[in-house]
Amino acid sequence: MPGERKPMRYGHSEGHTDVCFDDAGKYIVTCGSDGDVRIWESLDDDDPKSINVGEKVYSLALKNGKLVTAASNNTVQIHTFPEGDPDGILTRFTTNATHITYNRSGSRVAAGSSDFMVKVVEMYDSSQQKTLRGHTAPILSVTFDPKDEFLASASCDGSVAVWKIEEQTQVTSWPLLQKSNDVINAKSLCRLAWQPKAAKLLAIPVETTVQLYQRDSWAQVGTLSDDLGTQAINVVAWSPCGKFLAAGSIGGLLTVWDVESKLCVERQTHEKGYTVCGLAWHPLGGQIAYTDTEGCLGVLDGLSSSSSSSSTTASSTTTKVSLWSYMEASPSHPNGLDKFVDDDDSAIVPPAAAAAPLWPVYDGPMPTPPQKAFQPGSTPAHLMHRFMMWNSVGIVRGYNDDQDNAIDVEFHDTAVHHAMHLTNSLGHTVADLSQEAVLLACPGTDELASKLQCLHFSSWDTNKEWMVDLPKGEDVQALCLGQGWAAAATSALILRLFSIGGVQRELFSLPGPVVCIAGHGEQLLVVYHRGTGFDGEQALGVQLLQFGQKRRQVIHGEPLPLSRKSHLSWLGFTAEGTPCFIDSEGVVRLLNRSLGNMWTPVCNTRDNCKGKSDHYWMVGVHENPQQLRCIPCKGSRYPPTLPRPAVAVLPFKLPLCQTTTEKGQMEEQYWRSVLLHNHYGFLSSSGYEIDEEGQSQAQKEQQELLMKMFALSCKLEREFRSVELAELMTQNVVTLAIRYASRSRRMALAQRLSDLALEKANQLQGEEPQEEEEEEPLQYTRRNTGSHRQAQEEVVDEEQGQEEHMDEGDVAESKRQGKSRESLSHLLKEGRVNPFKVSSGLGRSGSAGGQNRVTNVLDSMMLSSKKPTALLSSSGSTGKLNKTPFLKPLAPRPKTKTQSTLLHMNTPKAANKKAVEEPAVCRLKQTEAPPPASPAENVENKKHKSGFQLWLEDNRRIILADNPDLEETDVIKEAIGRFRTLSADDRLTWTERAKGQSGDVADMKKRKRGEEENRGDKNGQSEADETRQSEADETSAKKKKPFDTSAKLSAFAFNKN
Amino acid sequence: MDPSEVEFLAEKELVKIIPNFSLDKIYLIGGDLGPFNPGLPVDVPVWLALNLKQRQKCRIVPPEWMDVEKLEEIRELERKEDTFTPVPSPYYMELTKLLLNHASDNIPKADEIRTLVKDIWDTRIAKLRLSADSFISQQEAHAKLDNLTLMEINTTRSFLLDTLNCMYKLRSNLQPGSSGGKAQDHQ
Repeated sequence: MPGERKPMRYGHSEGHTDVCFDDAGKYIVTCGSDGDVRIWESLDDDDPKSINVGEKVYSLALKNGKLVTAASNNTVQIHTFPEGDPDGILTRFTTNATHITYNRSGSRVAAGSSDFMVKVVEMYDSSQQKTLRGHTAPILSVTFDPKDEFLASASCDGSVAVWKIEEQTQVTSWPLLQKSNDVINAKSLCRLAWQPKAAKLLAIPVETTVQLYQRDSWAQVGTLSDDLGTQAINVVAWSPCGKFLAAGSIGGLLTVWDVESKLCVERQTHEKGYTVCGLAWHPLGGQIAYTDTEGCLGVLDGLSSSSSSSSTTASSTTTKVSLWSYMEASPSHPNGLDKFVDDDDSAIVPPAAAAAPLWPVYDGPMPTPPQKAFQPGSTPAHLMHRFMMWNSVGIVRGYNDDQDNAIDVEFHDTAVHHAMHLTNSLGHTVADLSQEAVLLACPGTDELASKLQCLHFSSWDTNKEWMVDLPKGEDVQALCLGQGWAAAATSALILRLFSIGGVQRELFSLPGPVVCIAGHGEQLLVVYHRGTGFDGEQALGVQLLQFGQKRRQVIHGEPLPLSRKSHLSWLGFTAEGTPCFIDSEGVVRLLNRSLGNMWTPVCNTRDNCKGKSDHYWMVGVHENPQQLRCIPCKGSRYPPTLPRPAVAVLPFKLPLCQTTTEKGQMEEQYWRSVLLHNHYGFLSSSGYEIDEEGQSQAQKEQQELLMKMFALSCKLEREFRSVELAELMTQNVVTLAIRYASRSRRMALAQRLSDLALEKANQLQGEEPQEEEEEEPLQYTRRNTGSHRQAQEEVVDEEQGQEEHMDEGDVAESKRQGKSRESLSHLLKEGRVNPFKVSSGLGRSGSAGGQNRVTNVLDSMMLSSKKPTALLSSSGSTGKLNKTPFLKPLAPRPKTKTQSTLLHMNTPKAANKKAVEEPAVCRLKQTEAPPPASPAENVENKKHKSGFQLWLEDNRRIILADNPDLEETDVIKEAIGRFRTLSADDRLTWTERAKGQSGDVADMKKRKRGEEENRGDKNGQSEADETRQSEADETSAKKKKPFDTSAKLSAFAFNKN
Repeated sequence: MDPSEVEFLAEKELVKIIPNFSLDKIYLIGGDLGPFNPGLPVDVPVWLALNLKQRQKCRIVPPEWMDVEKLEEIRELERKEDTFTPVPSPYYMELTKLLLNHASDNIPKADEIRTLVKDIWDTRIAKLRLSADSFISQQEAHAKLDNLTLMEINTTRSFLLDTLNCMYKLRSNLQPGSSGGKAQDHQ
């Protein structure tokens, strides 16, 4: 199996480079002519750590956490690894050092220099040096004998010498190389390499071959060559086991030989044919890192044992026979990694070495390096110009270049605050921005503690700023702002809460290192490391906390479901307050509160990308309108600060199956609508104001979709499926469905549906009392119960009986209004006023909350302000009023003051309640009353009464008198029974009457209403009444329009027959 | 038509802006605009964009073609071809002028763009003159020119029509005379 050559990547600027691994093989360390040493976690590491050590770096060596570099300032420096802090100068030359190397234990460093000298320096005491003089030209390379006795060096004078270190004398010397006057002009770098462990062989690259010299005898014992190698070999490196030798040549050819058999087992060419000038084996074998003179870094991976065994027949069989229990324990070596490490035995290894301790190689899943803490909506901190935060409020940019270290804060909406420019003297690295404040934090240094700074620009006093020092050794890693509070997660695994004015609040421990936190309103979302992930996966946990009135933990540290082998890339809330996150695979997941707080994937942003390396960088998520606001980044993960990137809007798309078919599409639409309107329930339950109109719109849309799906499955003769769909419908739509089914002559279906409708009705009826019990405490005054209330409700139900389901919410609202008003103003209570008649018209005006109609004047004012205003000037104010949540500060409204909150909370339940009476009437209508000509007309004439209803109105008293203890539904049932007993003629007359009446129903209503108003509040503000009524009529007429689609649909159903 | 009138027509073109205020949909005779969300791009007519820009209520996103590389390509093509090449926008000149005059801070490399558009314009006007010249000198009855913008037609219209009128007069005066006059005319 040939090794896998991974694509190369740029590591340094053009010029000489060198590479090595750290002791554990966890990092690849490179240096280059740009003077930087870079520490790569892997080849894919986009963000290597850089240490600047000088203008140019010629060579580096790394052992025991000490990084030694030869820089252009003629010194050999030490840095700590991996921190990269300077740790002194090891030695100096009169000109630059060309090559440095550690001995096996890391106790000594040898350095060759252009001033013809080789120095051997003790690491623990740099004054203990040994100088080896004898070369007559710059030194090309040096290498230690693993037994620390000898040192070999190659020089531009053409010689390769072996020195006895202790005596500082030359043992032997071979004139092998071409002479040159400087390293730059040398044909080859001639990096020597001494065989590790056995220390028997010294490999010297000579022209296109590698010559092997034996220790002690200093005789040439072999030559390794490759037919394809036409250019001089630059570098050689032994595998950690000492069995294989890798070489990199001028032409970019990488060759691996099995030294014993002298056969080439691996051959790769550099993808661009550049000169390989640095080569290093992974300490565990199996991988070779190499660099070229163009500054690129490459990795040769998966060097396998099978390639060697195929070429080295004899030795590999002996190997297999003589290998130890370890081999038997794991007979298959999938990646051959161990082969390079463990094959200590074989002909060239002395028996003593075979007893060397085995390296227990772990073969299972590898742990994933945990993802670092980050701030959602920011670009990486090492960029000179970066976004520290981009959210729905504004942008915080950080500049950190030569002239300037500054922070710019800019608001999308200049009405929030003007732009700010701050000098970043503290070195802030993380930021958050809200409508109230800017929060900044910097990590601590040796002298200064980590600081949290808050620019509270919305403060009404003159002090707009506060700052907090964290305890020593504790660094802020992530922070966020909510409404009226700020939170900071620290390296001490503590989450600290502050009020927005700077009061320290609660603090609590986090279960693991924080990844990021996000705040919205009174919710705080924390993501942390639950444990170690394996094989590229992250193990993240999530907590969702709620402050405010109802303090509780909503999500208790459940695992965060990321895509496979991905990490978290954005975390936040939608503008409506639903938690949401995006992983590095681009999958957007939204919390589904209705499904036990599970996460539902709602979009894959990568589906919208054109190129493979394009990404979308998220800046905000909105549920209403359904928008994912993000910045397209061509060929990168992060946008640049200049030119200013433009925001794009992506749609949501649930990953449902077969979305190309009509059925799939509608299902996707339906479930998306259901999911993305979950927030209404949450918002109203936590006391926020909600967009009533939007909610009813959404409900209507969902019911329409259900009806369409129903029609579709009817067409496909899928009756069972139709019933399943009907189960999702509301009561009224079920009746529509029944009608559709009976029209299309599916009597069985219709029968089942009517059973279902009845079932639903019973269910709701059963729930009703309970629900009312629950509602009670929420209301500030207890309703007086009893026959009085019941009577009122009856009237309402009767009145609204034929109304479309779309009105449910509004009707219910008005009903509630009536009730609460009843308790509120006792004025209206006496005199049998029927407030519902008025409100039934008014309720439909669709005005969101706040209809405190104690006086009519107020009322008419409210309505006029709700009128859709077309003018630019006035719409400015309305825009502010009912804006998208983008701007709207979601202030929790005090429940005791406004009715609206109360009403909204009760709405759905109330709506259901109303629906209870619906089926009876509707079914009756089917059988008894002449069906309306078309449903469209039916919709239009929804104020009209059927004959039965007229009759019922007249005879209700009689029925009630006969059976005073009847429930409302029972009354109707009774009434139906009685109506049926009437003769056909009688019934006809009632129907006739109903028809005749329908023409001037509006007028009648008006009159009735006027009378009532006059009776009710004796103020006699008839003028106000007039205006309000006309407006109400207007609006109700407008409101009818949206029914068109569903009407069309059902019209289609009816026209079929 | 006056150039200002053409410019007026050009102001109907849509351009993307990023508002820094929030406003609901506005309903105008010409159509509905908005809703305006701060930070979110929205299409508005140029007249509104410029008005908002002057009041510092928005940033203008330059049209896609208003880009140095694209304009350079167009310029090269325009220079290479003898006929008129399609222009990126029927109001490219007007839009460039309007946007660069009022919102040059939102358009990267505004000066280069100005020069490029002027180059394109000059090339096209030169072509137009040439074709008018050959039209007259060859005494053609009609000519067809593709891809001309309104502004370009306007710049040449008054002069060309007057000239043609004048020549017609001169010719009709020559008619009663000998054919020699005509022969001269042909040259």
